[in-house]
Amino acid sequence: MTETHGRMTIAPGPTPGVLTLGGAIDETADLHLLPKRASSGRLSLDLAGVNFINSLGVRDWIRMQAAATEAGLDVELARVSEPLVHQLNMIVATRGSSRVTSFYAPYACDACGREESVLIDAVAYNDQLVRLEPPPAKCPECSAQMAFNDFPERYFSFLSG
Amino acid sequence: MKAASILIVHPDRKTQRTMQRVLGSTGYLVEVVDDIAQARAQLDAITPVLVVVDGSLLSAEAAALVDAARAKGVEACMTLLGLGDDKIPAILTMGSITNLLSHAMPVLADELTITVQKLIRRDLFGAEKYLLWGTELHEVTLERASERHGIVASLGEQVRARGQAARVASMAMLIADELISNAVHNAPVDAAGVYYRADLARDQEIELDAKHRVRMRWGCDARYLAIEVRDQFGSLSRDTILTSLAKDSVRETGGGAGMGVALAYRSSDHLVFNLHPGTCTEIIALIDVRNPPTERAGASSYNIFVERTQ
Repeated sequence: MTETHGRMTIAPGPTPGVLTLGGAIDETADLHLLPKRASSGRLSLDLAGVNFINSLGVRDWIRMQAAATEAGLDVELARVSEPLVHQLNMIVATRGSSRVTSFYAPYACDACGREESVLIDAVAYNDQLVRLEPPPAKCPECSAQMAFNDFPERYFSFLSG
Repeated sequence: MKAASILIVHPDRKTQRTMQRVLGSTGYLVEVVDDIAQARAQLDAITPVLVVVDGSLLSAEAAALVDAARAKGVEACMTLLGLGDDKIPAILTMGSITNLLSHAMPVLADELTITVQKLIRRDLFGAEKYLLWGTELHEVTLERASERHGIVASLGEQVRARGQAARVASMAMLIADELISNAVHNAPVDAAGVYYRADLARDQEIELDAKHRVRMRWGCDARYLAIEVRDQFGSLSRDTILTSLAKDSVRETGGGAGMGVALAYRSSDHLVFNLHPGTCTEIIALIDVRNPPTERAGASSYNIFVERTQ
């Protein structure tokens, strides 16, 4: 069942123990409730549906991360959306002690001009990402090789801890 | 009497010539020197309207030059940064640098020209100055604080509907949200200098009377998406802006006042502050939608303009 907290939604994820967040994280999001819903010492969040987070949402997010760390929870972030990656890169404290297992990244197709948010498996491509080498991606429209559409040293900086 | 002038301090001959050509179009006398020592000597002889110091020359001597320029009444001090330059933290600690242009090319001609024209003409306000002629600006006025959410969501949808990438829409939404929130809550100040709405919960409904209404305009000319937010208090000061932009705590902890301005700066390619103390504050954020991020400067430009009160 999907719950609504302000403009954010929380729903059970595709696998047991995973919570899927969606919508906007702002002053109404009640993120402090999340650590209480950890399962077996783990808080797993699917963040693909988060399309917006403002500075007040960031503050709430940092507090949530701190509470999870204090409670000794293992926080796993999966399918992290681009707006959240943007904040993870801009504000170090948003990373907390969480692990990012996958995230979305901007790619562009030089052949047809399409821009696409591509899901990257941070575990499988860990070595490559550490070297700031974006994984390859094919254009879903024309199948040409797409190019990473940001500075790797900037976009992947959240992976360096 | 010597004509009003612009003083350029830049070590590269080619850039010097380019800047002379660009700024020569303003009608101002363009004085060009190679280094800080020559600039100090020039400053003893002239009072330029604008001093432009290349980022490669930044040093304690450059800081002293800029301070001396401001003390002498120079309207604005600008620094130019090249692609990949990482001097912004140092620049922001030099409180007299009111304008920073971060550029991937030898000189970003249009930004330079607009900046100088605004200073010369004493015509600071309006996002039109940064967009191509004929670009439509969409306008909305907040009459209640709660309208912020709908306005921001609508902006995101309209930007996407015009074919812009999700990344651009996402940045536009963040910037609009932060600037509107600042204008509604942090701008209102009473005669005693009390910011009486700063501590109100952001989700508390507030009816905005004529004085408290906030205007947002936005437009896109296929080069830039511009978002302009204006309050009617004019309480934001140059020093507050520079402090907010320079805050290390924002990056490290996300904490403290001024976080909204800092996030808006880090989310835009160019942030312009037009200040009319006691009357209005207008902030314009420009997002480059023409060039992919990899072909743009990694750092963002900023400009602070203050309306003359006399």
